[in-house]
Amino acid sequence: MSEKSMLGQSHDAPMKRHMGLRASRLAANTAIYVVLIVISIIWLIPFICILLQSFRVESTWQVGYVIPQKWGLDNYYNLFKTDFPKWYVNTFITALITAALQTVIVLCMSYTLSRFRFKMRKALMRFMLILGMFPGMLTMIILYRVLKDLGMTQANSVPGLILVYVASSGMGYYVSKGFFDTIPKSLDEAARVDGATRFQVLKKIILPLSKPIVIYTVLTAFMGPWGDFVFARYIAFGSSAGMNVAVGLFNWLNKDQINSYYTMFCAGGVLVAVPVTVLFLCLQKYYVEGVTGGAVKG
Amino acid sequence: MKTYSDLEFLKLSKGEKFLYKLGSFFCAIPRGIKHLILGIGRGIGKAGQTVGREIKDIVSTFISGDWKTKLSFLVMGFGCLARGQILRGLLFLLFEAVFIGYMVLTGGYWLSMLPSLGKVGPTEAYDEIFDTYVTTYNDNSFKILLYGVLTLFFIVAFVYTWRQNVKQNKMAEKILASGKKLKSGREDLRSLVDDQFHKTLLALPMTGILVFTVLPIVFMVLVAFTNYDGTHDGYYNNLFSWVGMTNFNTMLSWKVTGGAGTQSYAATFGEVLTWTLIWAFFATFTNYFLGMFVAMAINKKGIHFKKGWRTILVLTIAIPQFISLLYVSKMFAKNGIVNGFLMSMGWIQEALPFWDNPTWARISVILINIWIGIPYLMLIATGILMNIPADLYESARIDGANAWQQYRKITLPYMLFITGPYLLTSFTSNMNNFNVIYLLTGGAPTNPAASSAAGTVGYTDLLITWLFKITTGAESQYYLASVVGILVFIVVALISLVVYNVLPSIKNEEDFQ
Amino acid sequence: MASVKLTDVKKVYDNNVTAVHDFNLEIADKEFVVFVGPSGCGKSTTLRMIAGLEDISGGTVEIDGTVVNDLQPKDRDIAMVFQNYALYPHMTVYDNIAFSLRLKHMPEDEIYEKVTNAAEVLGITQYLTRKPRALSGGQRQRVAIGRAMVRNSKVFLMDEPLSNLDAKLRNQMRAEIILLRQKLNTTFIYVTHDQTEAMTLGDRIVIMRDGIVEQVGTPTEVFEMPHNIFVAEFIGAPKMNMIETTLEEEDGKYYVRPFGAKIEVTGEKSEELKKKKVGNRKVVLGVRPEHIVLADGPSQGAIPCKLEVNEMMGSELHLHVYTEDETRLIVRIPTIGLGLEQRKEMVYGKQLYITFEGKVMHFFDPETRKNLIYG
Repeated sequence: MSEKSMLGQSHDAPMKRHMGLRASRLAANTAIYVVLIVISIIWLIPFICILLQSFRVESTWQVGYVIPQKWGLDNYYNLFKTDFPKWYVNTFITALITAALQTVIVLCMSYTLSRFRFKMRKALMRFMLILGMFPGMLTMIILYRVLKDLGMTQANSVPGLILVYVASSGMGYYVSKGFFDTIPKSLDEAARVDGATRFQVLKKIILPLSKPIVIYTVLTAFMGPWGDFVFARYIAFGSSAGMNVAVGLFNWLNKDQINSYYTMFCAGGVLVAVPVTVLFLCLQKYYVEGVTGGAVKG
Repeated sequence: MKTYSDLEFLKLSKGEKFLYKLGSFFCAIPRGIKHLILGIGRGIGKAGQTVGREIKDIVSTFISGDWKTKLSFLVMGFGCLARGQILRGLLFLLFEAVFIGYMVLTGGYWLSMLPSLGKVGPTEAYDEIFDTYVTTYNDNSFKILLYGVLTLFFIVAFVYTWRQNVKQNKMAEKILASGKKLKSGREDLRSLVDDQFHKTLLALPMTGILVFTVLPIVFMVLVAFTNYDGTHDGYYNNLFSWVGMTNFNTMLSWKVTGGAGTQSYAATFGEVLTWTLIWAFFATFTNYFLGMFVAMAINKKGIHFKKGWRTILVLTIAIPQFISLLYVSKMFAKNGIVNGFLMSMGWIQEALPFWDNPTWARISVILINIWIGIPYLMLIATGILMNIPADLYESARIDGANAWQQYRKITLPYMLFITGPYLLTSFTSNMNNFNVIYLLTGGAPTNPAASSAAGTVGYTDLLITWLFKITTGAESQYYLASVVGILVFIVVALISLVVYNVLPSIKNEEDFQ
Repeated sequence: MASVKLTDVKKVYDNNVTAVHDFNLEIADKEFVVFVGPSGCGKSTTLRMIAGLEDISGGTVEIDGTVVNDLQPKDRDIAMVFQNYALYPHMTVYDNIAFSLRLKHMPEDEIYEKVTNAAEVLGITQYLTRKPRALSGGQRQRVAIGRAMVRNSKVFLMDEPLSNLDAKLRNQMRAEIILLRQKLNTTFIYVTHDQTEAMTLGDRIVIMRDGIVEQVGTPTEVFEMPHNIFVAEFIGAPKMNMIETTLEEEDGKYYVRPFGAKIEVTGEKSEELKKKKVGNRKVVLGVRPEHIVLADGPSQGAIPCKLEVNEMMGSELHLHVYTEDETRLIVRIPTIGLGLEQRKEMVYGKQLYITFEGKVMHFFDPETRKNLIYG
């Protein structure tokens, strides 16, 4: 659809007609530009602040001004004297493996629910809908105890985290199922008549057509572990070697640490945010497709 | 309530129409609930019938079956083995062996301890050699509950498999009687990538969900009926045991029960729930409408750098929330940048209590949530707006509608219709929006009257953050957290059900297609 | 190159809706059978059950003497053309056609041979390296047929293959399918809602409604001897006129009394009525529009009526007329049958007299709606 059908019809309002199309449109567009610029500033301020503060050298605690009095890379340099590199590696490994495994699980689940009509399908979907209404946080307690028995907590928390992230990821099948639903079923049928097994249909027909949703799933699965500070903290249970960046940096903002680590938090935040953001912006197109499709499908 | 026919309805005035619609909405709620209860009743009835049918079928299979079938009732898979389906037979047999082995070795123990959750707690004995008290740990309530539940799962699985085994025999007899051949092991394996491919695909995800979601949820629901907490951890200090409905009574009672607070649990729960609903309402709808407006502004004809504006906004999605929200939270702190800036400009004398005054804090989280939420909605709205057929607007313009009328009569109904289900999920996930609240305020400022309820409940605490505080609080009242969790589930489920049964856009799916 | 036999085939959906009731049909080797009926009549469902894309709720489907109920589509040795073509969008035309052969692990040079041959027959050689989205509707249709052609399968199934094409292309493709059929020389089952396609393509036509087979027969049989009112109205365009009237027997001769006129039943029809010993009774009289002629003026055998709409179709005129009791009838007369002046007079409200011969009439029972002679 053309973009003219969105809000932009003020010039057609009979009252304003005497102003002339051009003038009225100019006024409307100027107003919108002003709003957009204000919005952009509000949106960017925190990120600019965080970036500026990460270069502040004169003090490490919170201050009431934004622009550093003395600039330097000390905060970044100091990061490497802490466990930060360890946390970073932990998170990166977790994110990488989670992204790979979770994508497989989610695609299996959503493809099946989109394409197969088996007896328990409806019941299964309803069951998972109901499961999803339980606050997942509750299960933390028992999962911690179980992982502890398996030796996957504290310093060893990375495999434990991966296990938990991946294991229940099948519940998040909605968006990709919505995508698969848009691929005509007659393609599957044609391939099956042509002599393909169900597995071959998936491999040769559906997967090559599913690039956007595969990328979307990988992207969201990869970004998840970078932000988890609740479960990861519980599993790491105070062991610095087992923390991810979120937990580690989060602790720096505790009341008793914030004064010596505030600027380093900013520096760490920048180091985490930059690669994730770059990746996200590169793959933005697929993310938008996924989010939009998911919301429309419900 | 009086119901109007379509033609009568059309004659009503605008106000009457609105009242009528509002009335029908609320009238539909009891109907929805009634529908639900009837549905549950029907479901139970159906389940009963199914069990009856199954039992009948099992008996008739036994009576009419040959000796191979009859023996299979005891030795699973025997029928398959005897009829040449080696693979199936071995799998059945193996499963039975494992099950019996498990039950004899440990399953029986866990099951027998389940009703008591352990009999002997840790004991201390005097050790003469070292001249000290040595603790011996005995039963482990936690493991008993966990493995007890697991054993119950296993038993259900066994009954199901046994039933399949019986069914297999019946089917095999029928197939052989009709002169056809049974599937060989090789064919069975091949069918796993073909007509049974869904089973292969679902095996791994469902196992994960079963072990890491269903089992923990069942466990935690059961915890609500025990006294499992920091002082009854089930192994190291004290065993925990079943306490029936006690915890629910505590949570839902209006009596003030000691502690530092002056408020009953029920009152605290009521307050937190009310704020949770208010929060979810504002968080959902502010984002929804503002996001839609931003999307329309960016998409307007003649606006340049569309991609640039969008990219700036989606930064809040890309950057992990613990960085952005934590940082923003510090920005608004007493000694933060915002207050610093305002003071240095001389606009205020004292720091504004963004996080210290209950009302300020509540408004602040809602406003900052807009900063987080608009980009999602902007993306979603952009996608949907692009799909509104242009001819709708063209015909509206020919009919003489101005911009606002076009928005009211076309854009908004279309958006609401398409995103109806999304709004519902958005509402419920906002109810459980742990990140925003926890990272911004951590629930603060504290409500002094409510501190008798485990943990320190604050004015911005949602049910979900409260639950988290109870769990990680000093007393670790897991049972109470579990009760809150169950109540959250009930609230979410009720809202979803009512909305699903009442929302017109879900019923009339075809209207806009 | 196989026979297909359906015995009591039934389709019941989960919500207890029966889409196909006890379908019985034997299709001979190399026969071209068309399933036709209005949408929702179960014709596609039946075809999909034969293909294995839909579970069979009851009865058996045999291909070449083997019951295939439990076989996967890939094991049934069938080829199928879908309504929306179902071309694999990520593959070139060549890969689309070669897909089934590659699954069979046929050597590449043999595949090349087969694909290029098929492409030549269908006239799509110059598109082989293109992706489907770069093709027009007609070209896509050819690719879909090509994909089915190279399989050399026992049965060739087509599910409304022409309904997404425009009218002109449809006529052209219809002729090509007839040619294709002669080349392939295999068993065809063809589903359509268009009676013209059914009549022109089929050796035999299966007319379905609401999951029930109304009539099976050659195009001539279903046209000349419709078993009931539904078939009579469905086959032939414009559809047959139905007139409620009485049949009267006088001295061994039969007469019908449409709108006060009196017309004698003659020829075969009269013989058959006599054989069946039909007496005086109410009937629904069916007359095809092309069998009605204009009478010169009022007479005993002419029905007076007024012209409502005159559709000029080129070689013929479709006259929509209404009688004194407001019954609408359609008359189809060749354009050259009228002079230029007469044609000019054919305007709204013109008084006409129509009549028809005794041998073209069809008689149906108003209650059972069955044909009195053939039903």
